[in-house]
Amino acid sequence: MRRGLIKATSAYERFVHWLLAISCLLLCLTGLGMMFHSLNFISVIMGGMKAMKNIHNILGLVFGVSLVLAIVMWWREAGIFVLPEDWEWVKTAGGYLWHVDKVPEVGKYNPGQKMFFLTVALFGAVMFFTGIIMWFPLSFPVELVRWMYPLHALGFVIIFAFFFVHLYLGTIGSPGSLPAMLSGWVERAWLVKQHPKWLKEMEHEGKLEVYGEEKKPAADKENV
Amino acid sequence: MLQRREESKMAEKIKLYDDAKCTACRGCQLACKQWNGLKAGQTRNTGNYQNPPSLQPNTYMFIHFQDYVDEGGNVKWLFRKEACMHCTDAACVTVCPSGALYYNKEFKTVGLNREKCIGCKECMMACPFAVPCYDAATEKIYKCDMCESRISNGLDPACVKACPTGALKWGDKDAMLKTAADRVKELGGNAAIYGDKFVGGTHMMYVLKEKADVYEGIKKDPRVPFSVTLWKSWLKPLSLLAAGGVIAGSFLHYVIHGPKRPDPEDNNIPNEKAEGGK
Repeated sequence: MRRGLIKATSAYERFVHWLLAISCLLLCLTGLGMMFHSLNFISVIMGGMKAMKNIHNILGLVFGVSLVLAIVMWWREAGIFVLPEDWEWVKTAGGYLWHVDKVPEVGKYNPGQKMFFLTVALFGAVMFFTGIIMWFPLSFPVELVRWMYPLHALGFVIIFAFFFVHLYLGTIGSPGSLPAMLSGWVERAWLVKQHPKWLKEMEHEGKLEVYGEEKKPAADKENV
Repeated sequence: MLQRREESKMAEKIKLYDDAKCTACRGCQLACKQWNGLKAGQTRNTGNYQNPPSLQPNTYMFIHFQDYVDEGGNVKWLFRKEACMHCTDAACVTVCPSGALYYNKEFKTVGLNREKCIGCKECMMACPFAVPCYDAATEKIYKCDMCESRISNGLDPACVKACPTGALKWGDKDAMLKTAADRVKELGGNAAIYGDKFVGGTHMMYVLKEKADVYEGIKKDPRVPFSVTLWKSWLKPLSLLAAGGVIAGSFLHYVIHGPKRPDPEDNNIPNEKAEGGK
């Protein structure tokens, strides 16, 4: 660890993130293996199609639990748009798509991340509830169950597509972002560029945790 | 048997059930159980000759009994064979994730490879005729496969073989349709063919002596549920298209616009020279 790095996420945040992410990815993988006959081979390492179905169902429960933890943890920071500044940011597309002289400063989560969070929260819940009904189809009216399959597929279309956006922007599309979800310590330069408002607020409140430095007097709590 | 196989050639075949010729002897029910090695279940007398009451994991077919009072006030029996209809456009085959349900290449009937069945019950929900049955003990699906082991060897399905009145026939689709049309003409009145006008045509068709509407439990407008079409024909390919689009878009973003790099000057680390961002 280098001096001057700043703690952006807590261990709990990273744990919930990866629980959600890994269960989601494995669900995508096992789900794809059942959605396309040409991908049935994925089941070979899972012990066959039936075993893969069971793994998918149980992973769904893990996903459901981690989704609840993620929503409880993040909804205040990532689930609410702050107007008008978030709208200003959206109008510039965060400076990601075309040249923008001055991108509005954002806090811990930018509106793009908020949209991603809300999408995962909403469609994650759709996936969970449609999945449960698909798991026990005989306990529900046929007419209802029939619509659960296309809804489950719609949720997959959206989450799967968004996943690649998230993957890109969390790695090579925005260098310096990945450590936030690995060690939790990020570069100051990255924060200045990505979350300047949060950096200023934390400094102002004296809550900023900088590696190799004593915490400022006002800081008596972890930045969670 | 081998000789007969050659005779059968590669032709689409259907089973034709003629309710005006059916005496409801239920020989077909027994033959079905026997050939497929299915046990009889304990049932209760409900004041009706119909037995068993419905399709079960161990009952691939049964004869439906109905007391029918026609317009003239006459009481008649109406019989109807209930079993898998073997759709040309079979929703169960479309939704089956493991390929357990499939079209027989030779006859276009719907076969079931139970080894591959994972018990997801998606076929039960998709079937417009509510045919597939789930057995909780084996966690698998059961339904009529048109005696695939017999028809592939040039034999008639067991139910057809057992039928003493000729109410059940198995033959080339064209020939059977002609037979059915002739029978409809012969019967006159409300007689009609059931099965040729939906789900791409079924591989079990009826000649019904009365209007289809008056038969209890018959599906009046069977079709592949729209939810199945939406799911398998639209959303399924869209999932790959959307993901592919995003991956392509990300790549283009990286090479055209470039990633969003932080300015290394902002690191401002005391006692240490600032290194470039990643």
